[in-house]
Amino acid sequence: MRVFLALVTKELIGFLRSWGLVAVVLYSFTLDIYITGKGIEMQAKNIAIGYVDETGGGMSKKILSRLHAPEFQKPVPFMSTKELSKSIYDREIMVGLIFESDFEKNLEKRDRASVDILLDSIAATQSFQALQYLQNILFDYSKTDFPVELKIHKLFNQNANTSEFMAMAEMLSVITLLGVVLTAVVFVREKENGTWDIMLLMPIDPRLIILAKSFSQVLVIMGGVTIATGIVLFGVFDITINGSIAAFFLLSFFYAFTSAGIGLFVAAVSKNMLQVAQLSILIMMPLIFLSGAWTPIHAMHPLLQDLSLLSPLRYYIEGSESIFFRGTGFFDLWNYFAGVIILGSVLYFYGFRKIGRLF
Amino acid sequence: MNFDVIRAYMSKEFKELLRSRLILIVYILPTMIIILFGYGIRMEVTNARTLIIDNDNSKISRDLAERFHHSKYFDTVTVNAMSESEALNRIKQAKTDILVIIPASFEKRLLHRQKSEIGVFIDGAFPVRASTMENYVKGVIYNMAKSLHIQPKSLITINNRNLFNQAMRDEDAIVPGLIGLILLVAPAILSALLIVKEKEEGTIFNFFSSPIKKSEFIIAKLLPPLILHSVNIFILFLWATWLFEVPFRGSFLLYWIAAQIYILISLGVGLLVSIIASTQIVAIVLTIIITIIPGFLYSGMLMPISSMSGESKIEAHIYPVMYFNHIVYDTFLIGQGLDSPKNQLYLTILLFYALFLIFLGAWLMKKEIS
Repeated sequence: MRVFLALVTKELIGFLRSWGLVAVVLYSFTLDIYITGKGIEMQAKNIAIGYVDETGGGMSKKILSRLHAPEFQKPVPFMSTKELSKSIYDREIMVGLIFESDFEKNLEKRDRASVDILLDSIAATQSFQALQYLQNILFDYSKTDFPVELKIHKLFNQNANTSEFMAMAEMLSVITLLGVVLTAVVFVREKENGTWDIMLLMPIDPRLIILAKSFSQVLVIMGGVTIATGIVLFGVFDITINGSIAAFFLLSFFYAFTSAGIGLFVAAVSKNMLQVAQLSILIMMPLIFLSGAWTPIHAMHPLLQDLSLLSPLRYYIEGSESIFFRGTGFFDLWNYFAGVIILGSVLYFYGFRKIGRLF
Repeated sequence: MNFDVIRAYMSKEFKELLRSRLILIVYILPTMIIILFGYGIRMEVTNARTLIIDNDNSKISRDLAERFHHSKYFDTVTVNAMSESEALNRIKQAKTDILVIIPASFEKRLLHRQKSEIGVFIDGAFPVRASTMENYVKGVIYNMAKSLHIQPKSLITINNRNLFNQAMRDEDAIVPGLIGLILLVAPAILSALLIVKEKEEGTIFNFFSSPIKKSEFIIAKLLPPLILHSVNIFILFLWATWLFEVPFRGSFLLYWIAAQIYILISLGVGLLVSIIASTQIVAIVLTIIITIIPGFLYSGMLMPISSMSGESKIEAHIYPVMYFNHIVYDTFLIGQGLDSPKNQLYLTILLFYALFLIFLGAWLMKKEIS
């Protein structure tokens, strides 16, 4: 135990001394998460909208006055459809409304009129939402009451706030990436310096060395997780956690071991830092892809769905989302814990065996 | 300038790239990124797991359930009796995405034109997906109302034309942007590595002490990545049009020229990184941090530049990503080509950007021990 603690302390001191690494870890756990959360907005907001009004005003003005922040920018008037569509082609305007000259007349005489809308639909999701906003606004100008009332509740995140979600998703990716890279780096640095063989030949059980070395990096990761959740998630983004924070930390702890296991494997096969970087990217990308972080798993190809069962990140992401947003009870989380622990043990054991071999 | 020296240096670089198998990364990484992200980022929702609790079990309510069932957006399970709390618990356990509750005597009230209420619960853990699902659910119910002639007569109808991406496909929205991301990241990493590797291994002293000129050294270091990555312009184009079936409506010449200039910009970024970084791992991490985040944020993939305001709009104009992506989206989806003054302007900006970065890098690089 004393040896174990000594080794852990040695690695932690070594980590703190390499200020470059410390800077990267701190950056990833704070600023990177902050930028992603603040910067990536997927809900349509602040849409640039332009219009051509050939009517004398009246109804069209009423409709235009309802296009305002936060969904829309101030509508920009255009003299002709041609000018409007040129602006859309240059992507300065995303939505163009055209009120034709008989709009007002039709509305008075026949009780129906139509608005032409030109929509830049390149950013498909945002365009779709923009169209929905407009439809909802025009829906209000209808004659009779709709007899069915739709009571829609968006559970867990009523305002559909993206920044909380993006910040958390980014934190999970950072944990994965750094968990692998940091662990691999501690071993490969010894390899590069030629001290790894000496370590294995020391009169200490090599298993203890490997365990201590990887444990020290798990500690670093957990430190990062504490900083990220405490300062960025709770401090800056003010996320409300619906489940238990202890469950999240426990899950993160197991997951950090899992990614350390991948790191051990990477360290075993690479000779220098450069290979660590390349291999980590090659391994991480499919893992993240299969985790359901971007595509819901049940919308994937059936073969990929089966494969995604092998991605430990899948259980970690679903588990963390459940804890943070869905507020799932501790005992309902057992399948996420089981997934992370089982995959983690296998990966860790495999990496453990591979790096511990002398020749 | 001595071309023989440059040629000799370049042939050394190519041999090293082949021997260290770094060449694999040059071609595997871009393809992997475009395939993984192209398939991976899905904003549209299909097969949302929907649980319908039909407390009415009448003709109309069954018809409504049937409509959900036939839509590709939903995978429905219909039950006749389940308590609301039990159903909500299923959402908590992430077994269901949408819960639709049709009240008892729904049909009767509807026929008597009394108000009735359909309860819809949506898992909001992934916000964009939740908003999309909400709109789909509304769509199904309004459509049903229309066919039953109980929809309110709307005064104003929308007559919309979706330009550029008629079917609103995610692939069309994302894949061209990915090309802009990859061509910014990959050449920068390679060029930074080629120089930093010499620093780390100490062979940079050959450059310091030999009579090779600084300009010759830079050209010899930047030309191999330029040549290798120029092939990626075509590979990525093929993946986009053939695998992801993104239409290509504009001028290929414009795409090609812009992409070449963009690679020069990326090489310039790599050159600047190689001046700061002293080890390869730092060079990689630094390049990724500098390029990936702006490459995503200002790409227009997720958020159109026109929707930005304040600082983010200014930042978008500082990074080169916006200019290139405007041209790429134009060549793929819009098709104005070189006739458009905006494309001409942006192409010119890109060219000056590239020259600026490379000359800045050349000026900052010192041919001596620092």
